[in-house]
Amino acid sequence: MIKHILKLLWNKRRSNALLVIEILLSFIVLFFALAYIFFNTEKAFSPIGFDTENRWMIALDDLSNLDSLNRVEIMTNLKSELLNTEEIEEVTFTTYAYPFSNSNARNGTDLNGFQMTALIVEADSEFNKTLNPNIIEGRWFNEEDYNSSTPPIIVNKLFMETYYPNHSMIDSTILFDDPVKIIGVVEDYRYQGEFSEKKNIVFRLKHFHENTSCVVLKMANNTNAAFEEKLSKIVNSTTNTTGSIIQNVPKLKEQNSQQSWLMIMAILFTCTFLCLNISLGLFGVLWYNINKRKSEIGLRQALGASGFDISKQFVLEVIVLAGIALLFGIFFTIQIPLLNVIDIESDLFYKAIIYATLIILTLVFLCSIIPSIQAANVTPANSLHED
Amino acid sequence: MINLKNISKVYRTKTIETTALNKIDLQVAKGEFLSIMGPSGCGKSTLLNIIGLLDQPSGGELSIDGETTSNYKGKSLSKFRNEKLGFIFQSFHLIPDLNIIDNVEVPLLYRKINAKQRKEMAAKALESVGLANRKKHFPNQLSGGQKQRVAIARAIVGNPEIILADEPTGNLDSHMGDEVMNILSNLNKDNKTTIIMVTHDERMAKKTDRLIRLYDGSQVA
Repeated sequence: MIKHILKLLWNKRRSNALLVIEILLSFIVLFFALAYIFFNTEKAFSPIGFDTENRWMIALDDLSNLDSLNRVEIMTNLKSELLNTEEIEEVTFTTYAYPFSNSNARNGTDLNGFQMTALIVEADSEFNKTLNPNIIEGRWFNEEDYNSSTPPIIVNKLFMETYYPNHSMIDSTILFDDPVKIIGVVEDYRYQGEFSEKKNIVFRLKHFHENTSCVVLKMANNTNAAFEEKLSKIVNSTTNTTGSIIQNVPKLKEQNSQQSWLMIMAILFTCTFLCLNISLGLFGVLWYNINKRKSEIGLRQALGASGFDISKQFVLEVIVLAGIALLFGIFFTIQIPLLNVIDIESDLFYKAIIYATLIILTLVFLCSIIPSIQAANVTPANSLHED
Repeated sequence: MINLKNISKVYRTKTIETTALNKIDLQVAKGEFLSIMGPSGCGKSTLLNIIGLLDQPSGGELSIDGETTSNYKGKSLSKFRNEKLGFIFQSFHLIPDLNIIDNVEVPLLYRKINAKQRKEMAAKALESVGLANRKKHFPNQLSGGQKQRVAIARAIVGNPEIILADEPTGNLDSHMGDEVMNILSNLNKDNKTTIIMVTHDERMAKKTDRLIRLYDGSQVA
């Protein structure tokens, strides 16, 4: 039967070409849409590497005009005032790489052709208590590390997988601009948000009074928004400034992701619309084809085809056409991961190909069922006299 | 072999009721070549459709080989048509997108016969109607007479016991019509195939064993 169907389709190749092209183009659009959705949702659902619940953040007013002695004094006072407040459990001071910031500082080294790059995060010894990064090997900075002869660093898992796969480098000294000692490995720290890509991270120890950009606070449970006013007063009076901004980290996280989620929803909507269009198009084409071929259906019934044979033939015809379109589609789209056209994990493209193929096949199958059942119900006596 | 008892066919719409066949009684013996004549709209094709199980009578009983045909439903009905009956139509009803041999092969697709055997059987059927050299042609490359010979090859490819021909010479000139008629006569004589033919042509009807006439749905002779 398949051979018979292939012959029929081949002999009608001109009229079938449009349907094949429609399915092919739909597959390609669906592939890209799914690849985009998978790429982003995979990021969104993988852990960002730190806690955000009950965390507040203070973006400090500019303190760069202060001399170092004054700055140390103000920052020490600020830290102690904050820690003396009942609602605040932990405090950490950081620079530009605070939660949901867009800033980054990239650093790297090139040693005899061995290139190493990473985003630099300046953190103090209290960072882990406040933001609770998942330490998977080694430890976080402690007070003694401030006086270490070789500056300690903490890296993320991706950094280790990229440069030292299958090695433990704890307490090893590496050259990263200068000699530094790896003392710990964290799961990740995707401070730029849920939709940010995984990047190599290197934490550098910096004394809290040198980190004058941002303070992150771990708040006691049930701290309400009214505390913000009190906190603002503490910050303003201690730093003698008025421009500091207090932000709620969970809200920042939500705002940070909103645009990306909107984009995903828009693409999902477009995909659904596309699928609906494909379905209606296919349905219309099949309906038209079956009506045009009523005398053939009647003839086949007269020659011994059962209703099931007729339905099977029409479903198979569309599935074979879809199969041809999908073969072309897969051939084109598989070039992207094979030739590494886009620098994204290739598994994601393979997944998009599989899902797009399954969606198209399911749609084609579902859309062919009703017209095919209708074809099976054609009465031979009438259809043979329609010609 | 074929026994029609009190067969009626009435077409009903909301406002009108048309009697196409009115209490037809007919027996056709095995190996008989029967022709049915009558004016247009008298019910000839309706009768042929009922005998070919393409349509159901509104009343009466049809039996073939002693078996009441109303017992055949779904797959058993399709199997019966496929194995026992061969159809020839006035407008040939060839599938335009298939070449001649593939057209002849169609009835065999619905039997469990492998592709090689199907091809052999179709080639043999084409040979018997003198079209062995046109296997790869498409229907639009053939004359009317050749198309009807292909339709005959398709009707006989599965060795049916009964051939139902609905005005097989209706679209052909007299020369072509004679050629087709000769093939049918030979089939009837050589293979003892029962043939029931609807025709408007008195000359063709005279070549058959028996002629019945219909008028306004009733048998008049």
